[in-house]
Amino acid sequence: MNSFVERFSSGSDLLSTHRKGLLAGEPELAGRWDAADEYAMPQFDLPHCADPIAFLQRQTDDSLAEDCRIKIQHGTTTLAFKFAEGIIVAVDSRATAGAYISTQSVKKVIEINPYLLGTMAGGAADCSYWERELGRRCRLYQLRNKERISVAAASKILSNIVYSYKGMGLSMGTMITGWDKSGPGLFYVDSDGTRLKGSIFSVGSGSTFAYGVMDSGYDYDMSVADAIELGRRSIYHATHRDAYSGGVVNVYHVKQEGWEFKGRTDVTDLHYEYQDQAKSMHVPAYTLH
Amino acid sequence: MSSKLAGGFSFDNHVRNAALQQKGLTLPKAVKTGTTIAGVIFKDGIVLGADTRATEGPIVADKNCEKIHYLAPNMYCCGAGTAADTEFTTALIASQLELHRLTTGRESRAVTAMTMLKQMLFKYQGHIGAALVLGGYDCTGPQLFTIYPHGSTDKLPYVTMGSGSLAAMAVFEAGWKRDMERQEAIDLVRAAIESGIFNDLGSGSNVDICVIEKGKHEMLRNYARPNERGQKERSYRFARGTTDVLQTSVRSLVTVVEGDQMDTSS
Amino acid sequence: MVGKNCVAIASDKRLGMQAMTISTEFPKVFPATERTYYGLAGLATDVQTMSELLRFKVNMYKMREERTIQPKTFAHMLSSTLYERRFGPYFTEPVVAGLDDKNRPFICAMDLIGCINFAKDFVVCGTASPNLYGMCESLWEPDLEPEDLFETISQALISAVDRDALSGWGAVVHVITPERVVTRTLKTRQAVCLC
Repeated sequence: MNSFVERFSSGSDLLSTHRKGLLAGEPELAGRWDAADEYAMPQFDLPHCADPIAFLQRQTDDSLAEDCRIKIQHGTTTLAFKFAEGIIVAVDSRATAGAYISTQSVKKVIEINPYLLGTMAGGAADCSYWERELGRRCRLYQLRNKERISVAAASKILSNIVYSYKGMGLSMGTMITGWDKSGPGLFYVDSDGTRLKGSIFSVGSGSTFAYGVMDSGYDYDMSVADAIELGRRSIYHATHRDAYSGGVVNVYHVKQEGWEFKGRTDVTDLHYEYQDQAKSMHVPAYTLH
Repeated sequence: MSSKLAGGFSFDNHVRNAALQQKGLTLPKAVKTGTTIAGVIFKDGIVLGADTRATEGPIVADKNCEKIHYLAPNMYCCGAGTAADTEFTTALIASQLELHRLTTGRESRAVTAMTMLKQMLFKYQGHIGAALVLGGYDCTGPQLFTIYPHGSTDKLPYVTMGSGSLAAMAVFEAGWKRDMERQEAIDLVRAAIESGIFNDLGSGSNVDICVIEKGKHEMLRNYARPNERGQKERSYRFARGTTDVLQTSVRSLVTVVEGDQMDTSS
Repeated sequence: MVGKNCVAIASDKRLGMQAMTISTEFPKVFPATERTYYGLAGLATDVQTMSELLRFKVNMYKMREERTIQPKTFAHMLSSTLYERRFGPYFTEPVVAGLDDKNRPFICAMDLIGCINFAKDFVVCGTASPNLYGMCESLWEPDLEPEDLFETISQALISAVDRDALSGWGAVVHVITPERVVTRTLKTRQAVCLC
């Protein structure tokens, strides 16, 4: 109470005293206060123990510790690939807790801003929190530099953040895609700190199945419609074989003018659609002599 | 072929299962009976009581199972622990007692059953998870024993077992008297089991009672039903044709009616 | 599930290795006799071993006794077979459903070491069993006619399986009545149609 009285008793220069009070204990910043500096790194409390990393690993990594307390949802299939007319991003929508399906309608594509997309695999909370934080940083970058951030720089911000929390239980496997001055950009970033530039990625428990379909049907010069169909089909096949992927397929197309949502399709509808297609298709039958 | 003439357990899969477990396969759980079982001696007999809940981890697998097992016409046995173990151990001893009676031509004694059970359980060093309350009336009068999974036994005038044993014992300690009347004893056991049902999460549903007296016994299945399920407010019956069917196949069964014997005279 | 003078037994058709689906045409429900069926959930190799072993035992019973085995007798035989391996069990949880010689419905379930759970309404087992308990507990009602029993057991199974990542990919339902056994495959999420 005393400090409150003191602050306002002098009368003169009320504004600057007020600001000083707001930033009590901080150096004098009035006039050149920078949000980017102030929130350069959101601070999380770490466990007060000798080795917080080892402690957190024990609590979060179920492959190391049997009785890990914090279970993180893992099952997912996400994919993204570059082609002549941009990038296709396709994801499933299932969330599981153990074998139990907690929901079939997760949005696993995170719309960071009109030009950037991130995908979600691993911990849902980790992905959505840090990709939102990434969106904020990208906006600050844009305000300061009067131009949009490149996909390379954006993905590096994210990978630097997660690297600083390495071993403490963050769990994310994400693809950052977008369009910048140099054209379409696609990066894979995960919670180990890996950051890879590439043109075809698939992430999650169903990724092997998705790769199989995607690689065999991929052609750089394919049409937009074919590319969307390839993405959808790859996710469908992954949901068919992988128990932890399922629900609906969400497809996005990243273009020069930004990303565009290309629709959601229930995998069950796709299943019966593809089954009917296969039946009507003429397949040369092998004959035994 | 592992169906051999020799009896006993088969350990054929043991090494394989240990290997599978080491590889991280999660094994299905066996049904346990988180249980309240109890027994008292009264003026001229024994009253045994049990709840009727069987659990599989946190799930109630059976809401009305039978935990009072037959051993001999003058002897019954309540079981707690691994459900399959109590079931088969008592069945095995019951059959041995039957043979013993046929050989000796005498009524089985409770101590005989108790000794057979404790010797078997001790032999298996607690791996057979059966905790039992044995009650019988033989030529030496009413007998009441408890048998623990490792083979130790107690002989007491009032006993409880299972996860609800503390709740049940509290009732006995407060209400037990020497030389009770039959109905008095039944009421006390019922109160003890109900205390287990309501206060122990591993026990639940109904109360089974068994009264054993000289030359007779009475099984009072579901003597008390304090957990009757309420009537459903509405029916969830589906209209016929709700479910999409891909394929249907019908296997017609022929009912054979026993007719006259075939004429083979000519 | 028990109905009026009938029983029904249903299962999904998935065979998986952890998350990966290997087959969507894996039989888990087998006929023991004409009107006794049993289902085995659990480790695939043991499901097959058990079904072969039981086929042998049922045939031996038939030859020795010169009559078909009753569902209750079959259940006890199955139970003893499992308990024989008390300390090295087969990882299967069986469900038995059938009509006895008087056409009375009989159902029961067992754990992996043979503890029988006799029920008058329904029994469940497998990875979706918590889900199935919830569905059956609310959907089942006494004295359902065969056609209604089929709808109830199918909807219970489909709803339960739709919330279990490790089950699904098609389902099969057998409804056993004194006159016939009707077997239907259901259109579920991602069922494979061979017709």
